[in-house]
Amino acid sequence: MIEKGKISAMQMALMMYPAIIATAILLVPAITAHHAGQDMWLSPIWASFSGFLAVYITLRLHHYYPQKTAIEYSEQIAGKFFGKIIGFVFLFFYLHADGIVVREYGEFIVGNFLMRTPPIFVMGTMVFICALAVRGGVEVIGRLAEMIVPVVTLVILIFVILLIPDMDATNMLPIMEKGIIPSIKGAVTPQSWFSEFFLMAFFLPYLANGENGKKWGIISVLAVFLTLFIINITVLFVLGGITANFVYPVMSAVRYISIADFLEHLEAFVMAVWVGGTFLKITVFYYVVALGTAQWLNLPDYRMLVFPLGFLLLVFSEWIAPSLMELSHLLATTVPFYLSSIQIVLPLILLLIAKFRNRNRMKDGQK
Amino acid sequence: MRFFKKSRNGVTGNHQNGTTRNNEQELYIAQQNAQPYVLSFNLEENIETLQSVYENCVDVVFRSFQVAGTTNAVLVYIDGLVNVEELDLVVLPSLMRPLSSITDFDIHQLLSQTLTVSKVSKTQLMSECIESISSGKAVLLINRYNHAFSLGVGKWEKRSIDEPVGEAGIKGPREGFIESLGTNLALVRRKVKSPNLKTKAIKIGTYTQTEVVVCYIEGLAHPALIQEVEERLHRIKIDGILDVGYIEELIEDNPYSPFPQMLNTERPDVVAASLLEGRFAILQDGTPFALVAPISFYSLLQSHEDYYERSLISTVIRWVRYLFLLISLFLPSLYVALLTFHQEMVPTTLLLTMAASRELIPFPALVEALMMEVVFEALREAGVRLPKQAGAAVSIVGALVIGQAAVQAGIVSAPMIMVVSLTGIASFTVPRYATGIAIRMLRFPMILLAGSLGLLGVMLGLLLILIHMATLRSFGVPYLSPMAPMQGQDMKDVLVRAPLWKLNTRPQLPGIDNLTRQGSDQKPSPENKDQ
Amino acid sequence: MSGLTKFKKMIICFLICSNCLLLSGCWDRVELNDLALVTGLGIDKKGKNTMLTVQLVVPKQLGGGMAMGGSNTKGGGATIIRTGTGAVMADAIRDLQEKIPRRLFWGHVKAVVFSEKVAKEGIRPYIDFLSRNPQMRLRSNMFICKGSAKNVLELSPPIEQSSAEVMRELSELQFLFRVTVKDALQMLAGSTQTAAIPLVQILPAQKGMSDLQTIAFIQRTAIFKKDRMIGSVNDKMSRGLLWIRNEVEQANITVSLKGAKGTITAAIIKMHTKLIPEYKNGKWKMIVKITSEDDVISNATNLSLYNKKHIHLAQKALADETANRIYAALHKVQKMKADVVGFGEAFHRKYPRQWNQVKDRWEDIFPNVEVTIKAKVNFRRPGMNTIPQGIPPEEVKK
Repeated sequence: MIEKGKISAMQMALMMYPAIIATAILLVPAITAHHAGQDMWLSPIWASFSGFLAVYITLRLHHYYPQKTAIEYSEQIAGKFFGKIIGFVFLFFYLHADGIVVREYGEFIVGNFLMRTPPIFVMGTMVFICALAVRGGVEVIGRLAEMIVPVVTLVILIFVILLIPDMDATNMLPIMEKGIIPSIKGAVTPQSWFSEFFLMAFFLPYLANGENGKKWGIISVLAVFLTLFIINITVLFVLGGITANFVYPVMSAVRYISIADFLEHLEAFVMAVWVGGTFLKITVFYYVVALGTAQWLNLPDYRMLVFPLGFLLLVFSEWIAPSLMELSHLLATTVPFYLSSIQIVLPLILLLIAKFRNRNRMKDGQK
Repeated sequence: MRFFKKSRNGVTGNHQNGTTRNNEQELYIAQQNAQPYVLSFNLEENIETLQSVYENCVDVVFRSFQVAGTTNAVLVYIDGLVNVEELDLVVLPSLMRPLSSITDFDIHQLLSQTLTVSKVSKTQLMSECIESISSGKAVLLINRYNHAFSLGVGKWEKRSIDEPVGEAGIKGPREGFIESLGTNLALVRRKVKSPNLKTKAIKIGTYTQTEVVVCYIEGLAHPALIQEVEERLHRIKIDGILDVGYIEELIEDNPYSPFPQMLNTERPDVVAASLLEGRFAILQDGTPFALVAPISFYSLLQSHEDYYERSLISTVIRWVRYLFLLISLFLPSLYVALLTFHQEMVPTTLLLTMAASRELIPFPALVEALMMEVVFEALREAGVRLPKQAGAAVSIVGALVIGQAAVQAGIVSAPMIMVVSLTGIASFTVPRYATGIAIRMLRFPMILLAGSLGLLGVMLGLLLILIHMATLRSFGVPYLSPMAPMQGQDMKDVLVRAPLWKLNTRPQLPGIDNLTRQGSDQKPSPENKDQ
Repeated sequence: MSGLTKFKKMIICFLICSNCLLLSGCWDRVELNDLALVTGLGIDKKGKNTMLTVQLVVPKQLGGGMAMGGSNTKGGGATIIRTGTGAVMADAIRDLQEKIPRRLFWGHVKAVVFSEKVAKEGIRPYIDFLSRNPQMRLRSNMFICKGSAKNVLELSPPIEQSSAEVMRELSELQFLFRVTVKDALQMLAGSTQTAAIPLVQILPAQKGMSDLQTIAFIQRTAIFKKDRMIGSVNDKMSRGLLWIRNEVEQANITVSLKGAKGTITAAIIKMHTKLIPEYKNGKWKMIVKITSEDDVISNATNLSLYNKKHIHLAQKALADETANRIYAALHKVQKMKADVVGFGEAFHRKYPRQWNQVKDRWEDIFPNVEVTIKAKVNFRRPGMNTIPQGIPPEEVKK
């Protein structure tokens, strides 16, 4: 095995949590609000089904091929040739998706805080730092998640609590004015974020306590769901009907915090903590790409791939979209189907084939 | 020069022989060839060899006399390392007394009946003789006898046991290690009286021949761990070690890290507590410091007094320490970031106050912060190195000139002085000096990052530090444990300091299964009393 | 060998990093000394152009210059006014920046003041700018002023640092409307597209003080429809509107009781308003339910409030008075056809279908909504006095 480290199931859950949340609280609430309006708090509920589905598929596949990552077992399932193609699709997809994440990060920082700093510098420093973490291996990433995620969660909680005085619960009324459809429409984008739970397929083989993988996978989905739910409700209560008018509703809500006329404009602080979460998200994707590529190419180690891939990542992030508007449009229209087709539909097909093969093998065994 | 070269030869020759390491170091003295030099029956010859080894050494004394008035003998020792009084009153009289009953001189009788010294060992090797002499023993060579006796009559001047200067405390034992290894070992042994306390000695340093002892408690420390540390110690090839700092640098896991991966302490109670947690300690002759490993970052933030004080109070103090650790790392960089990037975060009135104080300051905030931090470091360093009498002058000059005068002259702003002093004080709340220094040094890159990217820069810096710490290990123990990887049981001694009757398990060091420290019914209560 | 290369690598890394840092040094860093802190922003019309007035705080060292420098600095300092004109707000800001040696910093804007004229022509373009700029605070308070916004910002109040701060503090007291930029955005984007924003006026200066040594205070409430101001209501009515909007923080109500001389004044400790919309046979009805808890703060009658009967009487009178005030205010806004009290929202929530049918005609329906006010007042504590003070005990009606 290329990766010799072992992580605990809890570490995996802690890695998955920011891998979904970090960017799901940037542009997504505005997209959700655009479709769902005052029902935007319902959308995470529908969206989380996609997460459970992804976890289920991943766990089933893991059950059939316990020691293998997605890249490795797709070769076993679909045969050498098609397996390599599927592997390439996964790798390319994750590189591209990570590019989107890096870009979102860069856009957010440059658009809100460092307006005159070149985005490439902002993104470059981040990718460099992520590369260092990726080189550390899965254990280091797991430990970093354990250090960072509690803080990120705590800060999210604090920001919700600080906004309580400014909340107006009537903003959520009337519930389901136009039926259930708008909230489901609003769930289309977040569900694709939930589909990213397929990333677990790359970490399950390295669990020290594999039997807990299922439990923590589900806990992780629930935690993500709960966080999105709380965040959406907070934003809705604070900003109400104008939520969709902001590019980053969560940030605008944070900006509105004022405690005793003293603690105001806390967004830079919240940003700093959020950067920790994004760092983990980029790192997890990055690691998956690096490890997957090494497995795809049958290399003995993935570490020498890290920096070249980082460069590629940076280039991808530049290529994604020419402007923030385009990026947002991309996230609202194409990405939901893009993400879920690769992370849910493709694995589902793999699972079906695997099941079929396994049944045949069982029959063979009986004969 | 000749000597040096020979020693090199000796070392290489020994490698081929594949004998034990101790020999390897001795051989440089036993020079002539790669073969161990065995004592001859001829006293003259032996003495000649010794004299040539100790050529130009005025402090080596060769005292010749006659054993029992019949046989020629020479007592060789180094003046100042042995107890001359004992030689005069005990050793020489008993040896020189004429034997009345037996006419023929019997060496064994001499040992069992005449020589009233408790520590005596016999050797046939010249190299061992030299080693004995060098380490403060008197060596007795007797004519027509190819063995030498080394008499443990060593005694040299040493400091009395004192309060540890670097680790003062209000509560707890007040004795500290001194420069004598024997005393130090005794101090530890007095705390842990179990025979399971093992002390393994090894000599390091081709010239200094410093005795180093690894202490651990058998059954608590993992055997593989002890084997690992012994291997690492054996790997050291250096001409001399003068402090455990040498050893630390030569055996730690990551030599490029700013963080200490072993704990430096001069308190026997800290060593004893660490041993009881399944760690090992390295004691070295000639330094009052001991090394303890494996450790995690959090054990560097714990002080011995945490365990002597009430648990509630210790918990609060611990959190104060954590808070000030963060302050000492972040405050100047946060200040720079807020002042030059995120002016909107500062409350208006406070911002105006700061703006007013900065109005005439010629330097950018970044430069101002760096400048003042460097000045603070200089003051601290000067304060440590200077003799006490001059120290007062430094502090006065520092306080008046750099504090007040600089502010009044409008060269630095008052808030900056406050930030720097607060940071300085905060860094001293870290109980381990080495950790405090590491944090203080990391502050400078943080300030630079803050000055170039604002809070984002601070965060990136923090991430870099975290990545580094997550990769670090101290003898196989992840540096950030028990926080990452999470060891729920051990959090009771990190997030809080649980009451002693709750600290039922030892820290989960790798490979150790004997975790139970005590029964779980230790909570004092009236019911327990009856039992 | 590998150690050496590692060391080299580290040095190279360090050099690259430090280079990057040095390069990046000048992108977004702004020294505090290079910022002009804007505390108040005023928007006027000058002909066809927009005239922007900013109130800047100048952090000045008040003491005797360099020698005394440090110890004598005082936070705060004087405020100055600069104006810039331009076709649109961005132009005006550019024009303004030309006249100020330091970079304008919008992160501390406390008050945004629109002149009545601007308000009547529409404030949308301006508040879009305010909410789009990442530096600007969504929490800045919004005001409309009689006359020119410049005049309001020009004032140097004897108390507080700047006139913007004065206005903010006044609106934070919440005697009258308190509207932040976010609130305004919400109101204008809401289902009824109406807004109520406090209207300020300059208080005549005290005798012996210069004309500028005074403040602007919140006197009325401007009513907006779409983004245009269509009128205003006075302070009493504004408070009536606040009652319906459930935004009353503190208020005193004074009533005189039947059969007794003098008045009783009560201060509100806690109040809650509930809008209960009803739609029946094409008729829109609204029940406003108000419950409040009061403390007696003055009792100039001769009635002892330790008597249950008197308490009931007083509570009833207070409730009636509250209802009357609200009715009066409601009439006024109904006449203006501006639903600033949130009836539309309430109907929307309860009867979304019916509401959607009349959404576009709400303007016309609102004035005809039948309103019933059910007010209830409960006394909690009598203050420090038991029976009325200052009169002989025997004259007190027990």
